[in-house]
Amino acid sequence: MAKAQDIDVAPDEPFRQAAARVVRLRTAELFDHADGVLDTSDIERVHDMRVASRRLRAVLEIFAPCFPPNEFDGVLRDVKQLADALGARRDPDVHIDALTAFSKSLVAANRPGVARLVEDLRERQTRGNEALAAELDRTAQRGLRERLLALADAADERSAA
Amino acid sequence: MKARRVKGLEPDAALADNAERILRVRLDELCSFMPAAADPTAVVALHDMRIAAKRLRYVLEVTGPCFGPYARNATKMVKELQDLLGEIHDCDVQIPETAGFGERLLAVDAAALREAAGDAADLDPALLKQAPHAREHAGLAALQAHLRARRLLLFDRFLELWGDYERKGFRARLEYAVGERAASAAADGVSIGEQ
Repeated sequence: MAKAQDIDVAPDEPFRQAAARVVRLRTAELFDHADGVLDTSDIERVHDMRVASRRLRAVLEIFAPCFPPNEFDGVLRDVKQLADALGARRDPDVHIDALTAFSKSLVAANRPGVARLVEDLRERQTRGNEALAAELDRTAQRGLRERLLALADAADERSAA
Repeated sequence: MKARRVKGLEPDAALADNAERILRVRLDELCSFMPAAADPTAVVALHDMRIAAKRLRYVLEVTGPCFGPYARNATKMVKELQDLLGEIHDCDVQIPETAGFGERLLAVDAAALREAAGDAADLDPALLKQAPHAREHAGLAALQAHLRARRLLLFDRFLELWGDYERKGFRARLEYAVGERAASAAADGVSIGEQ
């Protein structure tokens, strides 16, 4: 699993100043993990991006009062939507992985049923991948990265004011 | 589960003071699910407790270094709890999903057998071999047994883990730690990241 990058924080620094820095970093981490995320042969990629989306969502919620509310609501909604799409793709990945391992410990007579379920999950994985591809396109069209960075800038500007 | 609102956050006030407010609310939120979640059938309470653990963990990951040393231990403890509740949740999702999948295959087989019987007065058991999913039911039943047993085992582990946290004074120690401020951090900055 991708390790979150370290960030320096000081207990006495203003809340909004920390908000700007942490959101910038977690935004960069999310989009750094986008490469190859639709490749179902390497399920760790989607896992890393999903974890990054959770971390980003969490910091947005923690620092919510530091951002302009109108812009913030739309950004948070879009981050949640992306996280949901990553989750819908990730869930069958995990289930398939677990069932494949489980199947190895079964007697031969029990394997066909598990294999049939894996087949069904692969169809769900394909549908999840298609939905994720569409969501990644929407994310780019809506300029989510830029809007996230604009939120961080707004928190910084309020600090300076 | 909707997170409890944290009152009194001030963007221009110190990070640690705001984080302390958030952590106290998130910790109380987590602990409020016990003893309800100690009931193995309380699937919703367990799920909500997992979400509460996740929220507490992420606040600790980001702001933990601002506080006393126990905050770092607590981050690991909450992650362990969240992971275990996540495994239980996976079982709670997969058990009905697998059962539903098995039911669908049974329904398909029943319809196929009925058709194969034609005008017969009764169903010939020998026809079972012709059912489209005849070879698949045993594995799905074995999987159901495995998932149910695993859920029981993981739930016992959850009770043990929470009991251990209570014995170690997890809540009181974390409440104390968030009232402390990391001494060297104010001057130099401290690193946060996954712990």
